Amino acid sequence: MDTQIFTEISLSEILVELLLMPVIAFLVGLVMVLWMRKIGARVQRRIGPPLFQPLYDVVKLFGKKTQVSHGVVHDIGIVMAMGGYIAAETLLPVPGMNGIAVYGGIITLTYLMMIPSLGLALGVGQCANPNGSIGISRALTAMLAYDIPFVIIVFGVAFHHETTNLVEIITQQQQAGIASWGAVQNPLLALAGLATLQGMLGKQPFEIYIAPAEIATGPMVEMSGKYLGGLFVMQAFQLYTAAVLYVSLFLGGGESWFELLAKSFVVVSIPMMIAFVFPRYRTEDLVRLFWKWPVMIGLLGVAFVG
Amino acid sequence: MSEFLFELNMLDSLLLLSAVTVAIAILCRVEYISGGVVTLLYLAQLVVVGMMISAGGVFSSHLTPQLFGYELGWLLDGLGLYFTLITVGSALLATLYMAGEWGRRYREQGKSFRALQSLLALNVFTMQLLLASSDLLSLFISWELASWAAFALMALSGGKGLKAALHYMIYAFSGAMLVFAVVAWIATTAVTAAYQLDINGAGILQFSSVAELMQQGIFTIPEQLLMLTLLLIGFGIKMGLLPFHLWQAPAYALSIGPAGAFLGAISSRLGLFAIIVVLFKIFGSITDGSILQSSFGFEFASVTPKTLLAWIAVATIIFPTFVAMRQNDARHLLAWHGIGQGGYMLLGLVMMDSLGSAGGLLHVFNHATYQAALFLAVTSVIYRTGTADLNRLGGLVVRMPLSFMTLLIGIIGLAGLPPMNGFVSKWLVYRSLLDQGELLLFVGAVIGTLGTILSVYKLIHNMFLGSLRKEHEEVREVSWSMLTPMLILSALILLTGLFPGIPLQWVAQGLSAVGLPVAEFNLGGVMADGGSLDMVIVSMVLFSGFGVAALIFYFVGGKSKRVNPLDNYAGGHFLYASNRYHYSNNFYAGLMHLIKPWYKNTFQRLERVVVTLLELTAESLSRLYMRPHSNQLALIIVVLLLW
Amino acid sequence: MSNYLVLLVILPLLGAFLMQPLSQLLGSKQAGRKILQNFGRAVIAVTLTITYIVATEGEGVLQLPLSLLMGGFVVPVGINLYLDQFSLLWLVAIQVSLLILWPASRDIRQHLLLLVVAASSMGMALSGDLFNIYVFYELLAVATFGLVAQAPHPAAAVVSFRYLLLSAFGSVLALAGIAIIYSQSGSLNLAHLSAFVVNGETQFPLAAFLLLLVGFGVKAELFGVNGWVPEVYGVVSSRMSALLAGVISKIAVVVIVRIMLLLFPYPEASQALLVLGILGMVGGEWVAWHTAQRGGKLSTTLAYSSIGQLGMIFVAFSFSLTLGLFVGVALALHHLIVKSGLFMLSSAQLNRWQLGLFVLFGLSLIGVPPLPGFWIKLAMLQDLWATGGGLEQLAIALFLLATVVEASYLSKIISTQMVSPQFKSAKLGGNSEERRNLNLAWLYGILLFGAIFFINPLAETLHGIAVQTEDGELLRSVVLENSIDPLAGGEQ
Repeated sequence: MDTQIFTEISLSEILVELLLMPVIAFLVGLVMVLWMRKIGARVQRRIGPPLFQPLYDVVKLFGKKTQVSHGVVHDIGIVMAMGGYIAAETLLPVPGMNGIAVYGGIITLTYLMMIPSLGLALGVGQCANPNGSIGISRALTAMLAYDIPFVIIVFGVAFHHETTNLVEIITQQQQAGIASWGAVQNPLLALAGLATLQGMLGKQPFEIYIAPAEIATGPMVEMSGKYLGGLFVMQAFQLYTAAVLYVSLFLGGGESWFELLAKSFVVVSIPMMIAFVFPRYRTEDLVRLFWKWPVMIGLLGVAFVG
Repeated sequence: MSEFLFELNMLDSLLLLSAVTVAIAILCRVEYISGGVVTLLYLAQLVVVGMMISAGGVFSSHLTPQLFGYELGWLLDGLGLYFTLITVGSALLATLYMAGEWGRRYREQGKSFRALQSLLALNVFTMQLLLASSDLLSLFISWELASWAAFALMALSGGKGLKAALHYMIYAFSGAMLVFAVVAWIATTAVTAAYQLDINGAGILQFSSVAELMQQGIFTIPEQLLMLTLLLIGFGIKMGLLPFHLWQAPAYALSIGPAGAFLGAISSRLGLFAIIVVLFKIFGSITDGSILQSSFGFEFASVTPKTLLAWIAVATIIFPTFVAMRQNDARHLLAWHGIGQGGYMLLGLVMMDSLGSAGGLLHVFNHATYQAALFLAVTSVIYRTGTADLNRLGGLVVRMPLSFMTLLIGIIGLAGLPPMNGFVSKWLVYRSLLDQGELLLFVGAVIGTLGTILSVYKLIHNMFLGSLRKEHEEVREVSWSMLTPMLILSALILLTGLFPGIPLQWVAQGLSAVGLPVAEFNLGGVMADGGSLDMVIVSMVLFSGFGVAALIFYFVGGKSKRVNPLDNYAGGHFLYASNRYHYSNNFYAGLMHLIKPWYKNTFQRLERVVVTLLELTAESLSRLYMRPHSNQLALIIVVLLLW
Repeated sequence: MSNYLVLLVILPLLGAFLMQPLSQLLGSKQAGRKILQNFGRAVIAVTLTITYIVATEGEGVLQLPLSLLMGGFVVPVGINLYLDQFSLLWLVAIQVSLLILWPASRDIRQHLLLLVVAASSMGMALSGDLFNIYVFYELLAVATFGLVAQAPHPAAAVVSFRYLLLSAFGSVLALAGIAIIYSQSGSLNLAHLSAFVVNGETQFPLAAFLLLLVGFGVKAELFGVNGWVPEVYGVVSSRMSALLAGVISKIAVVVIVRIMLLLFPYPEASQALLVLGILGMVGGEWVAWHTAQRGGKLSTTLAYSSIGQLGMIFVAFSFSLTLGLFVGVALALHHLIVKSGLFMLSSAQLNRWQLGLFVLFGLSLIGVPPLPGFWIKLAMLQDLWATGGGLEQLAIALFLLATVVEASYLSKIISTQMVSPQFKSAKLGGNSEERRNLNLAWLYGILLFGAIFFINPLAETLHGIAVQTEDGELLRSVVLENSIDPLAGGEQ
């Protein structure tokens, strides 16, 4: 097992990386948002929004004159939602930049990704709108549902590569071309991962926590202006993180930015294409579904891990 | 006598100081002074413990009475010191909490503050005796004393609390009897074996001597297995391991506020201490040939005790966590989580590698910090609002912001999220499970964490978030005497999350005292093959992330306007304070709808079965005595005997 | 010197007979009544002094064992009194308990009967031959019938009558046992009989032992013949209960143990004792729990509890190794103190301090360190483990389970007491008799607590007693030194 390569990088380089990685993530995330909306449009036989629409949306939201706050925790919640992902990006190695990935492996990344959800939950709580609270309770329940197969997958991958260090995992997959990709060596795990991805992104049929007509978009009911803008930013980060993580675990990462981005956009397309075909699952059905199929596939996958 | 005083080493001083604390707590009639004095005494004890830890090494007491032909002795090594630190620290903070206004109101309600202080001090003293025991007999004696002291502390709350305490007592005493049986067994066999092995007869019950006996094979393997089982059950009852956990939640939840914080933080972990002593000091489980790692059963289906223990630990993690999710009383919720977290500790230790055992042991400290913080925060809420019912609270964040902050830090720790200390111990346990390839155990542990996140969010949401009730409009934050320990604990959670190396040093001392492998820890965590953790860096990055997000939020976005939550309308109506617009009841409706049929109250039914059997026997025997024809009975018996 | 032993029996009897004429003489005057009240106690005090003198032969150190052959008759003819450390212990226990627990009633019949009780129980403890034991046993029984019948309870007479029936039944059985032994050996002297046994000539049948066991076991609350216990303890006063449960039952146990040691030293006898002991232990404790659950009277619960404890004592004594004797004696003494204390506390509603005392007794009963009960239990468990065997291991398991049951019902009682309003105040309630009882409980409590600090010396003393008791050779040599050769010429 290789040890970390931190000794070769200087402090200033690290600082630059820590700054760049979130910025890149944000920009790529915005493009992913656009990509998703375009795909959705095409499925529904529309054209979709113009190229810079997501950016315009963010600027518009942040620039609104009326910004309604329900309290300090409301503000802090949104800060946590954004800040958590900003920090999480530095744990996700990309071509040319490893950030602090060696100081906390995949387990730390998984847990750091839960912090934004917690922040959001806190912020929504202070809003004192029951629709929001219901939305959050469903969101947490959904998290309980999809995190279990996710954990199985993480275990399987880490056990297969005998490390939790993401840099190491990516390096091992790049050693022998496609044959050493996670998706090829552990196809069942990759399959379960796709289902988990759908849940993580909160895309139909797993968007009960938003349920626009039922609970008035749930957590977002009292969010407007920069609060909604913050959530928007969070969504961009979320898409980027989920996609790049999946690519790093199963598709061999990217030796160049082009490769990484190409793979990520492919991965992001899959949930989108499934999303518009299904109706919505109820909370308990969601939980039951995740605890049955992806878990079984994941367990089988781990059983075959060599 | 003066000679004796000069001979006092640090352990003796600690025990003496502790005894003095008990005496003063009992004797000091001036109650508004006693709180402060006792707090200072605990501080002194903490200083002594700190000195012992930094000095390192082993401390043995000069108190070695010879009773009944056995030599008892007391000895503090790294493991005992670690637990003692946590015990004294928890007591200090609990006493600090009740020294001021809380104590005053307690006395105004006509209850005995002196009894509370004395019993708490007595608990600390007996626990120290337990943690410093060096032979089976002193272990058992102090175990009994500590159990009864805990019972007295729980019983103080009266009413339902007393019933729960009695329930505890039956469980604890049964466990103690099992341990007693094994101690007597070893004592009997050991005395004869001592001559063979040339060990000092009086010291035959010392842990080292008993370990020697086990190694020499004085007891056969089935006998050793039986002993191990009985000891694990006996000590596991105190720890709240499944299926003996039913007593713990009501007993801790219904005890008096700060006492509940103390008990929840450390009291049940004494069972873990005893289990560690049994597993590692007596049965020497680290070696490959030890009984813990040998398999039993058939050719095709065998199990090692280690696996069995690990599964019990995981069951202890999962079931109580999901029971906690259903609780509507904040204290019950926390108490059930307390049971669940004990499972993590045992799981880590049973893995017996450097990371896992460190994680398990570290979790004792971590759990104590956030359990105490949470309990104190909830007690503060009860103090101000008079209720802990989660369906009757809400929106208190605007009135009690510091309590909210304490609770928030506590629940992030409980859930095991970075940057709090809970994350570090859980990370270590997960790594160990990964390294040993235990998928199902790993998934079980994570299920526990996820369930915890759900459950604690419900706690904080129903209590502090949401809309404020009309009757709580006048609620204020609690006074500084109560805030200080809560803030100290919050700071401790943050600091030890940021610099886990500090508590890990103490953990390392504890682990080496029992012979478990120790990893190389640095200030931020550990550098291990197969993935490292450095909390300093991770936390700094996290906080920087928050900082950047805050910058964006506050400076890029426009200025925000504070709006009253009631300034809203729903369903075409404006909102009024009298009409609650808050979702708290049945918080996880969808999930509960799915898993409610799975709550079969199995363990309560099992308990009921045992009790019913007893009642049946008692009833039939009593009929024997009620019969007016006892003479005939006697005749029958005599005839039978003569036959 | 040893002749004065007989005074221990005669003086109380004399005192009893004298009480009636004395009361006629003095009863009318105030001072006279006072004398009468304290007459019984005075007699016991005198006997206690005599005990001291005889035991030390005026030299301040124990000079035991002693044997007295009355009237100079040699063994096996004639009455034989034997005093060793074991009997001394029980003599002192009887007398001290009587002194403490002497009732303050005006009814001289009670005093009278108690003096008879004193005489007969001391006689039983001292007797060296079977028939003497039987006679004193009957005397004791009659005296207790009277005492029970006198109890201030409407059902007293009926209860006493049932007790009498059961006791008579037991006496018949005991007599049958004695008859068997006599027919086989022609002698009734214990030392003489044990000589036969040791020489291997005779083995007395198990049936004889069982008959004797059940016969004397009535008083000892043995399983099968203890139906009287809950009834009687439910009606008599607290002091009488304390006496009955604490002292008198022990004397019966002591007699049975002596007989078993000397005459039936084979495993079947011990096993019978073990089985009956286990049954008594389980039955007693379980039903005590049942009674407490149903909210029954405290005295009834304590009655069943004493059945259970006596079962444990039987179990301990069933191993005639030295350790078994040690444990049995320790357990019996401990029970004497604790049960008396508990009965004293059962007289009235308790306040905080008294409840604390109750807790102290309870904790010692279930064996919480560092109270003496714990050490005894440790020794008991070691004793049981050392003997090995399946039945013994069952005994261990049941013993521990019984302890848990004990803890359960004791705590139920305590928590019920805590709910009462009397509990909150520190004031004493009840009438003067009850208050005195509660104060006496403190005496027992101090004794118990003090024992913690003297565990080692106490253990040594009891150990010494056990060793001496087991030593049958010593008994035979002391008793038979002046007698005819037991092997030659003894007519069968």
